[in-house]
Amino acid sequence: MIEIKNLSKSFQEGTDVLKNLNLHFKEGELIVIKGKSGSGKSTLLSLIAALLKPTKGEVIVDSKHISKLPDHFSSAYRRDNIGIIFQKYNLIADLSVKENIILPLVPLNISKKELDVRAQEVMSAFHIEHKADELVKNLSGGEQQRAAIARANIANPKIILADEPTANLDEKLSLAFIEMLKEMKQESKTIIVATHDPLFFELDFVDRFVDFDS
Amino acid sequence: MNLQLLEYSLKSFRRALFKNLFVFVILTLMTWLLASMFFITNSMKYELSLTLDALPDIVVQKKRAGIHSTIDENISLEILEIPGVKSAKGRVWGYYYFQRAELYFTIMGVDEFESQSRDIFVDVLENHALDASSMIIGEGVAKTFKKSYYKEYFNFLKEDGSTKKMFIKGRFKSKTRLESNDVIVMDKTALREIFGFDANEATDIAVNVTNKIEVPMVALKITQNYPNYTVIAKDDMRVSYENIFNYKSGLFLGLFVVSIFTFLIIVYDRLTGMSSAQKREIGILKALGWRVEDIIKVKLYESLFVSIFAYMLGLFLALAFVYIFNAPFIREIFLGYTQMKNAFELAFVFDFKTLSLLFFLSVPIYVLATIVPSWRVATLDADEVMR
Repeated sequence: MIEIKNLSKSFQEGTDVLKNLNLHFKEGELIVIKGKSGSGKSTLLSLIAALLKPTKGEVIVDSKHISKLPDHFSSAYRRDNIGIIFQKYNLIADLSVKENIILPLVPLNISKKELDVRAQEVMSAFHIEHKADELVKNLSGGEQQRAAIARANIANPKIILADEPTANLDEKLSLAFIEMLKEMKQESKTIIVATHDPLFFELDFVDRFVDFDS
Repeated sequence: MNLQLLEYSLKSFRRALFKNLFVFVILTLMTWLLASMFFITNSMKYELSLTLDALPDIVVQKKRAGIHSTIDENISLEILEIPGVKSAKGRVWGYYYFQRAELYFTIMGVDEFESQSRDIFVDVLENHALDASSMIIGEGVAKTFKKSYYKEYFNFLKEDGSTKKMFIKGRFKSKTRLESNDVIVMDKTALREIFGFDANEATDIAVNVTNKIEVPMVALKITQNYPNYTVIAKDDMRVSYENIFNYKSGLFLGLFVVSIFTFLIIVYDRLTGMSSAQKREIGILKALGWRVEDIIKVKLYESLFVSIFAYMLGLFLALAFVYIFNAPFIREIFLGYTQMKNAFELAFVFDFKTLSLLFFLSVPIYVLATIVPSWRVATLDADEVMR
């Protein structure tokens, strides 16, 4: 489903973050990419999400060459295929939980009624419906993460990318996230988690580990 | 139209409420100030053109010791002999100081043969037959009289110190309110009595010429025949009037420059002052699948919302300020040459070009100043913007 071919990425400073990377992810797989900070995990997720363009090589998703898509189409690709859970959640602080969650659907011009129904579904699935009208800036870290997960799922994407999802959470909340990850996997989504949190390394439902340190 | 994007724009407006309200107030004030200036200027231009059109082709005055003096009305008969002269008639007019209100009225004398004077006074004669003890007054005079309880008549203080009772027969309101507002029209004989003029004494002589091209030639001929008189051609009077107007327009130009400068500061702030939070928000939206055009639409709706409402409110306030409240404070800049400052009303002149100019000076510039920085950020890699 996702094919990474000879992928390289270097930034202006001249450092090669990724060099000739080759990977293949199957549909419905849960992959954990482990590695220390600066090893290129987040950069790989950004390249898969077409948030960045590679210096060399290709990202192919469902036979489409993502890395060569013009800006207009890469946005549409993300909207239709990708749900991203950012390390710092990237929620808009002075919007409510519900307003944040429906953001991926806003450009689609669907009815307010349908928006409400879909927001209610994901908020309920990720246990954040009781905070629907609360401003994000007033939420705890765990609640913010649940809102971010709900937002990543509202468009029902095939691929979920999670970048250091437990970096800002305590152990209890990290375990809660892992439970939600399991639920997402049961929906046959392809999930790629970039993390250096050892909690993930012992999970029995992870299909594959990719070690960037080696 | 995508209503969800529109709703998001309104939320964005609400989220930056203080900043947006500040811009809204500044834009409204700017539109109000500029629109008021344009409205007043247009009204004045309109008044001025009507006034100039009504002036005689040539005015002949006498000066004594460099001061405007009265002239012998019989000179007009001699001027009539000059080839090309269509009419020449002595005009009897002067200023009367009304001490109680501390201002001057302009009193114009007319007679039943009046024909070459200004159109408005011909109308006065047709509509009101004047006798030796009656007068017609302008709106401004009527208001001033009313304040002093002169509702039916007024006692003029004559040259010899006695009084002359003149009954108010009616009011007139001509197209040129600037000119007629402070005017009293009465019979020439009555005016001569009040000002102490002799039977043939006139203030000046109004000359009209059949062929307008010949006005300079006729003026030259009069100057040659009467070297001690001042001969003023209509074009000279036009220049004189316009100089006064242009000088005062300069003050408005100052206000205009200040307004534009303020607006440019806002535009500059918009173009350069995008906060890191705003940039990050655009990055997040792009990461969530928003296209550049979706982001531009949101900014377009938001800026249109601010600028169009500010434009409309500013325009509405300017209309009320100029045409209902009569432009307090600002009108004084222009009305220095009329004596009835407090009673003057600006004529309503609708000029679509002015409204368009104001619209294009404010709305599109503000919209562009809002959209361009957003577009610049939206076209960068989302990952780079969010970092």
